[in-house]
Amino acid sequence: MLIIMHPAASKEQIENVLAAIERQNLTAHLIQGVEQTVIGAVGDSHSIGKEVFEILPGVAAVTRISQPYKLASRQFHPKNSIFPLDGFSIGGEEIAIIAGPCSVESREQLLQTALAVRQAGANALRGGVFKPRTSPYVFQGLGEEGLEYLAEAREQTGMPVIAEVMSVAQVELMVKYVDVLQVGARNMQNFSLLRAIGETRIPVLLKRGMSATIEELLMASEYILSGGNQRVMLCERGIRTFEIATRNTTDINAIPVLKSLTHLPVLLDPSHSTGFSEFVASVAKAGVAAGADGLIIEVHNDPANALSDGRQSLTPEKFAVLVKQVKAVAEAVERRLAPIVH
Amino acid sequence: MMIIMKPGSTQVELEHVLDHIRENGLTPHLSIGEDHTVIGAIGDTHAIPTALFEVLDGVESVIRISQPYKLASRQFHPKNSIFPLDGFNVGGDEIAIIAGPCSVESREQLLDTAQAVRSAGAHALRGGVFKPRTSPYTFQGLGEDGLELVAEARQLTGMPVVVEITSITQLDIMLKYVDVFQIGARNMQNFALLSEIGKTQTPVLLKRGMSATIEELLMASEYILSGGNQRVILCERGIRTFETATRNTTDINAIPVLKALTHLPVILDPSHSTGHADYVTAIARAAIAAGADGLIVEVHPDPAHALSDGRQSLKPEKFVELVKQVGQIAEVIGRKLAPLATTEATQTHTSKGI
Repeated sequence: MLIIMHPAASKEQIENVLAAIERQNLTAHLIQGVEQTVIGAVGDSHSIGKEVFEILPGVAAVTRISQPYKLASRQFHPKNSIFPLDGFSIGGEEIAIIAGPCSVESREQLLQTALAVRQAGANALRGGVFKPRTSPYVFQGLGEEGLEYLAEAREQTGMPVIAEVMSVAQVELMVKYVDVLQVGARNMQNFSLLRAIGETRIPVLLKRGMSATIEELLMASEYILSGGNQRVMLCERGIRTFEIATRNTTDINAIPVLKSLTHLPVLLDPSHSTGFSEFVASVAKAGVAAGADGLIIEVHNDPANALSDGRQSLTPEKFAVLVKQVKAVAEAVERRLAPIVH
Repeated sequence: MMIIMKPGSTQVELEHVLDHIRENGLTPHLSIGEDHTVIGAIGDTHAIPTALFEVLDGVESVIRISQPYKLASRQFHPKNSIFPLDGFNVGGDEIAIIAGPCSVESREQLLDTAQAVRSAGAHALRGGVFKPRTSPYTFQGLGEDGLELVAEARQLTGMPVVVEITSITQLDIMLKYVDVFQIGARNMQNFALLSEIGKTQTPVLLKRGMSATIEELLMASEYILSGGNQRVILCERGIRTFETATRNTTDINAIPVLKALTHLPVILDPSHSTGHADYVTAIARAAIAAGADGLIVEVHPDPAHALSDGRQSLKPEKFVELVKQVGQIAEVIGRKLAPLATTEATQTHTSKGI
């Protein structure tokens, strides 16, 4: 950590900062400039908040040099983490495609969509049963009934299922039914939920909050990892910007940035990151071209009558085309789609 | 245009709005709901600002239905615009790569870079001579001396040259030397400059402002197009967001969105949109996969000693690798890199302004 003193900082204030550094078991390294004094605090500072120094009199600014995350960092774990799921693995050379409806709406809708996406080449099935909707007056999900349908879809298609968990109270129920827990963008910093999931041994798909920085996403993953659950997948799903032509702005930079900072698998959700079905395939291809380890895509057997996210959901036919195109891009970057187990 | 009246608006206010609609050559279409009265103003509204109705008493809000741009729109011109440059096309099946240093720094630096990017597969050369730097105390570009060097690089390599223009006063001198004008992000809404460039017939590379929406970019292109200059290439170069891990945030969505809205060619600048050489190649691949018609990439023979943008400049060796990878992506989406003009074509080509 670098502590930059005010130009007018007194000798006493500098002494005071040096003492504070020692109290944190760090070593102070003094750099006297022409106008300002800079003090390096050397040592393992990842668990020390910057505020400890920022509040001291005479301090102008504190800059963190080393990363505040540890278990997620590539420094700590240089090789890619590869997690086996049912019949495929994620984070290695293979590219995994998770697909399915935004919400589980009915038994028929889910089973039809599940069979269709399986046939088109999906590796896993998504489907929300507890829905974090902006409005409390619209469809909130089927709850446990939906989990039953997911289990049935799982049995029929052989695909592992992924569903979003919204609260600590749902964790116990969900782990009985799902193969992967999804933490949605709105819950990326629901720290008690992250901790509860860290206690389980179920793989997690952690979505980036819509106004979260890449570093905040990695810190959120750290909550799960530090609980002992090592299987965290990160997901870019678009961020909030001034642009209104699309629902969100796909931060495509986040893909290569995350791949260099962390060993965890990185996925892209082009459905949410664009918000419009007509742009999903282009951005899905871009995701894989940029180095993503997989995709999560909303598919609905009848988007016009979907209870949520119809505007960004692909028909099964369009999804089949997407899989074909993504496969070609995967091969161009010397990867391949994860195999489908029958 | 849809005009939404306030719930308590009066009949007199409504009549006034209806008159105003007719006065502007539009036809009103009234729909009276339970809470709100909504009036459709039907006709060609692209030159009518929403403010015209927003200021009227009793009006709650005005929503524009049709696009405010016209010449740039795909509705107006359904087929892709394809512009021939020296030896290749932009906007068709072929993907064009523009490469070169951020700034022209010296004869040696420019000629070395130009030859290196040419042999790596670049189609056009970039190099700034008037630099819009954040700080007035840092290198501002070589000015006219730089243009002479650009012309020399052009003759040596056969590549057309793309140079940024930052002021109307530079127009006459630039016209003598450059094949494509670049309008930088900071000048995207320098309307006086756009209008002047609209009067020339030199192709333009128009970069998106760092806080400009896609619609504002298209409106900026409209300034050039409406002057009679039809050859405008749009360029996504990253937008300003809260994320600080990268210099800008590449709005990759802008690629398919622009391709749907406009017939103009769309290219990406992964150097500025990431700000880090480490990420340029991945984002260049992503752009082509998303449907971009080309790339503009910063290359420097010695990034560590570059006078500007060293952090985001590729070494020529890295650029060779980028071209190879981008070529592979282009192929699998059914496109190809633009062919490189042969040496013969290079020699028969007569340079401008020399």
